[in-house]
Amino acid sequence: MIDEKILVWRFNRGSKDALRRIYEKYKDDLLGLAVTLLQDRSFAEDVVHDVFVSFAASTGTFQLSGTLRGYLSTCVANCARDRNRLRAGRDVGLDSAEAADCDFAGPLESAADREVSGRLESLLARLPYEQREVIVLHLHHEMRFRQIANALGVSINTVQSRYRYGLDRLRSILNGMVTE
Amino acid sequence: MKHIENIEEHVRREKPHVTTSWSMDKRVLDDSYAAMDERLAATKQGPAAAIHMRRTMRLAAAAAVTIIAAALLLTLGRHTPNRPAPQPQFAAQSPTMIVSMISLRTAYQQGGWEALDRQFRDTLGQLGPGPSSLSMQQLLESSNGS
Repeated sequence: MIDEKILVWRFNRGSKDALRRIYEKYKDDLLGLAVTLLQDRSFAEDVVHDVFVSFAASTGTFQLSGTLRGYLSTCVANCARDRNRLRAGRDVGLDSAEAADCDFAGPLESAADREVSGRLESLLARLPYEQREVIVLHLHHEMRFRQIANALGVSINTVQSRYRYGLDRLRSILNGMVTE
Repeated sequence: MKHIENIEEHVRREKPHVTTSWSMDKRVLDDSYAAMDERLAATKQGPAAAIHMRRTMRLAAAAAVTIIAAALLLTLGRHTPNRPAPQPQFAAQSPTMIVSMISLRTAYQQGGWEALDRQFRDTLGQLGPGPSSLSMQQLLESSNGS
């Protein structure tokens, strides 16, 4: 924690070495989050790129209230959500975006299966984006529901219900896979 | 899979391990450094402009004070010669009274209260009661009997 404060202090004084160390420390974690959320490696890389460029531009005025990891994860989640909206609108049209988010295995999911290693990611890809987002932020990035609610701009009850429905759906997918 | 009781634990355990590529690192760091440089340049320009502004403002304030002080001095200097000179305070209000006072004082210095009393009586005998606003000429004329 102190190391993080020192890094941020140095970063605010224009240290490129501090910026590089912050990037090195969190890059894999943030890319993993973006890949899980977007199910597309190139989109995920763009998100991490945009987040770090914005972060670098805040040197001198950046103020850390929580943890740096939490802050950067929130930035990645917000940026990924914007990308996902754009992509959904472009790929399938706004009217059918909700349907595409649901549980049929479309091209995005196939791409995810190809690009993301591990079975869980392909399962998560079958969840609606909002549920996937909450589950990943809570279980992989150790963010509390209140933090997630603040980051997403929704109520804590909404976050909790998304989380619960997401887990239920995952469970049913897993059970279905076993019975098949 | 069917026996997974705790789906949360399963999801937590299966966290993906993704690593960035060299080309991605280079792209992110290069662009981040550029953004940082841009920001730092703007920040440095900011205080320099502020200091310059502060200097200019200081000079402007000094000039204003100088102008006001000069204007005050000029105004006061111009008004001082035109100010009316204080009028001398006179104990006596007319020539008659002056002469009277001189004569009375001389009489007192020469003969004390008695001489002063005599001078009063002689004066009153010669002149008689008259107005205090007599001019010097009228006084001389009346004392000469003309």
